[in-house]
Amino acid sequence: MADKYKEYLATRVLAEGKPITYRLLSRALAVHVNTAKQMLYDFHTKQNARTPNSVHATYLITGRKRALEQTNGANGGGVEDEDTVMQSSPPYMSSMPDIEAEESEEAAAEAPVPTTTIVLVKEEELESAKAEFEEITSIQVYSLEPGPLKDMRILSVCNQEITTSYSSSDPLQWWEVYGMVHNPYIKACILPFNSTPRRTGKYVPPPTTASTKPLASKTAPKAESKAPAHPSEEKSKAALISKGNVSEDTSGRSTPQPVAKTTTTLKKSDSKPNLRKDASDIFKSFAKAKAKPKSAGASKDSTPAPANDVPMQGMSEDEGNDEDDAPEVKIDEEKLKQQRQKRKEVNEKLQQMMDMSDEEMADVEEKGSEPLRKEPEEETGSSKTIEPEPTATVTSQGGRRRGRRKVIKTKKVKDEDGYLVTREETVWESFSEDEPQPVKKPKPAPKPASTAKGKGGKMGQGSIANFFKKA
Amino acid sequence: MLRGAPFEDPAYLPSRLPSSYNPMHTFELPKGADKHYRQQFADMYFLRLAQLKEAVRQKAQDAWSDFKLGNEQARFVDRVLDVRQGELCWVIGTVYIEMGLKPNILDDIAKEHWIAAPPSRATYKSTNDAMMLEDESGRLRLTGAITNSSTNDDSYSYVTGCVLAALGTEQADGAFHVLATQWADLPRQPQRWERDDSALAMAKKPVPQRKSEKRKGESGKLAIVSGLEITGTEDDDVPLDLFIEYLTCESGGPPDQTPRTKFSRLLIAGNSLSHSSPILSREDFAAARKAGKQKHYGYDSSAYNASPSERLDDFLAQILPTVPVTLLPGASDPANVALPQQPLHPALFPKSRHYANPPASSNETREGLDSVTNPWEGDIEGWRVVGSGGQNVDDLMKYVSLGSVGALDVMEFMLRWRCIAPTAPDTLWCYPFQDDDPLIVKDCPHIYIVGNQAEFAKRVITGPAGQRVLLIAVPRFSQTRQVVVLDLESLEVEKVAFDVRG
Repeated sequence: MADKYKEYLATRVLAEGKPITYRLLSRALAVHVNTAKQMLYDFHTKQNARTPNSVHATYLITGRKRALEQTNGANGGGVEDEDTVMQSSPPYMSSMPDIEAEESEEAAAEAPVPTTTIVLVKEEELESAKAEFEEITSIQVYSLEPGPLKDMRILSVCNQEITTSYSSSDPLQWWEVYGMVHNPYIKACILPFNSTPRRTGKYVPPPTTASTKPLASKTAPKAESKAPAHPSEEKSKAALISKGNVSEDTSGRSTPQPVAKTTTTLKKSDSKPNLRKDASDIFKSFAKAKAKPKSAGASKDSTPAPANDVPMQGMSEDEGNDEDDAPEVKIDEEKLKQQRQKRKEVNEKLQQMMDMSDEEMADVEEKGSEPLRKEPEEETGSSKTIEPEPTATVTSQGGRRRGRRKVIKTKKVKDEDGYLVTREETVWESFSEDEPQPVKKPKPAPKPASTAKGKGGKMGQGSIANFFKKA
Repeated sequence: MLRGAPFEDPAYLPSRLPSSYNPMHTFELPKGADKHYRQQFADMYFLRLAQLKEAVRQKAQDAWSDFKLGNEQARFVDRVLDVRQGELCWVIGTVYIEMGLKPNILDDIAKEHWIAAPPSRATYKSTNDAMMLEDESGRLRLTGAITNSSTNDDSYSYVTGCVLAALGTEQADGAFHVLATQWADLPRQPQRWERDDSALAMAKKPVPQRKSEKRKGESGKLAIVSGLEITGTEDDDVPLDLFIEYLTCESGGPPDQTPRTKFSRLLIAGNSLSHSSPILSREDFAAARKAGKQKHYGYDSSAYNASPSERLDDFLAQILPTVPVTLLPGASDPANVALPQQPLHPALFPKSRHYANPPASSNETREGLDSVTNPWEGDIEGWRVVGSGGQNVDDLMKYVSLGSVGALDVMEFMLRWRCIAPTAPDTLWCYPFQDDDPLIVKDCPHIYIVGNQAEFAKRVITGPAGQRVLLIAVPRFSQTRQVVVLDLESLEVEKVAFDVRG
């Protein structure tokens, strides 16, 4: 590392005029934070020896503060002043165990609690701040900047830069490089960013994403640690990176995308030929026309899958911003095309979904939801139903449900004194009620309708393939 | 650390201690369609009285069984309506306090449609409040010293919803003149490690000899913070950065860093985000309306600002590699508003959720991010810990005269009444529990943490059977810049304050 840090700090602070914290320095040069603190100090003293006041520093003081008022605990039973509580006074600290030993609740509550204070100060205020401390355990250089800071909030930019630019490596390896405390028990399940379990359950994340991600995260640190050597380049890169899309390391992103793309197009072509790709699809559907209707059902069944893929791709698209510089242009083109295509696809699919309405959807749902259907029905019993009999006592017929179930009934009985006594009893009750109307009806009901209507009804709006298949 | 080149090799930092962590899922509501809101809230009071009656009766029996006034022996009366005039007796019931300023939902609906939260009041107290005791049979108006808290010391103020035994006589005007009261007091306190050990025993695994294996000082420390109230602007960033660096042991020199490696868990007790509650407060609503937004319902993507939750996610993602986190939602967090608040959804944490178990596989994350309910109950290092985002305390404070009672008093009485949210469902929004009320304290905790209080406070209370409970009121970080540190071996409490000059 020799003098790399001087070069880096000179570029960053003197040339670019940007503040830098020890933490950012450690990330940029991949050194231990404690070393980074010393580097900052070293640079600060040497630089200021050469040209006074060329570099400004802020310091972080850790220690125990001296109490300003000695009568801290004695300010009476009212609401304690925040400031007084904060500055715990060592004389009281020493007497605290005694008070606690008395078991006097009030006293224990009033007794000041040992307080560690961590203060961030500018270099001009360092001495006055130090004077407030009873005991200082450490002082470190927190940041360097070209001139006195008007507003400390500027320093938060540095930490944001860390999260945007330097968090792509495996966080569980940070401790080795940067000197965070190591926690051997934490395990991150590095899921692909998009593969949160979905409600449909049909979606299976593309395996490539999973496999490339760890790989990418391994290669990343090297690239990252190299980058800062050329700060201008790094800067432009940082500018490219939009805040918030950070955690996902995207050097691995380019691979999964084409895969996902091909899968969607494949699915699309054999599920619902749409007019844009008419030539090949129509042929295909001709070829398939003779095939069993089952395949048509199966292909329909798969339609939701691409729909599920869509948001995922949308997400990865957004994050495409932080691609590495080199492949970016190429990917952009490809992406753009893909995006346009996808948008069309989505629109069409939406359109189709709207048009085809219930029958189509019912067909789609039919397969997967057969075992599920029982569940919602059972739930519709009144909230007091504790044990609807799982066996066939619930029958559904003509939009009404009948059966027997166990319910808790609140019984009001007049006792011998003439008072009303409320009792809760479990009784069996037969019931008959309307089917739960709004949500669940569309599923079971349209089934017969779809077979009846399926022949002629929908071809005006449906896809052309269906027409051929049914014919 | 004020040293320049040559740079020595950084000192060795010990690794983190394991966090023995065993959350309970007491406050998790059924998911999806199993969650109903059609039940009546009256059932909660019924349940509460039914579950606590026996304990209160026992307690009162011990205290008053040979209580005599003149020649008259005090007699237990089963129902409040059975009280006969002039007869010395004691009854058990739920307190209900009629308060002049208590929010009335009918008023609110009459005034405007239910869009914004009702106006928050500093207190519900007015001059003509009346205290009553009710059970399933009826209500009894209470008079006497206890009903007038202004003439009394603080420990005799009661709130709606607590279950009480009252000793006294009925006056000519039908009011019950109370001489003394009793409440359930602290329930049984489990032994430390009880749940972990019994789980091991159930699994037929050898139970470790804690005393020898876990030597003193072996348990780590728990950092507790509440009210981060991240706004996503730059205002709150630097103190938050200092806090991150504190937790990850990056800031300071080796003498500071080494003790900090002992943190084995961070507990965030509510209000991590500011102004993110799904129901706008009256002020936010007025501001939104002023801004010319006509759309009252539905999602308005133009007004949505993701930066607070991104910032919170960044914060968690930075500390999670080094320390596990238990995250409770609070009043201003994007969770449901009624207690018990359900865990913050992992979709809010695209980065930090890698450290949590996917919700489909398990709802327990022992090492990593555990997004839990508010209130929450669980075992940390064998201690039973109950944590709350602070709504229960804040609401209860509105029942008592301002300034007369501190957060710790309220917390203590919640435990003694065995109900951590007695004012729910009356003035505190709450899920209509039907078959069981988890807000009743069944096991006495060792540590009771309430977040988002104005200032730090702690107290140790003791129970009749030798229970010792450490109460901690955690201040808002956004206002006080303070973090509470709890040693999980000695149960000693410390504070850490962050300050930025200039």
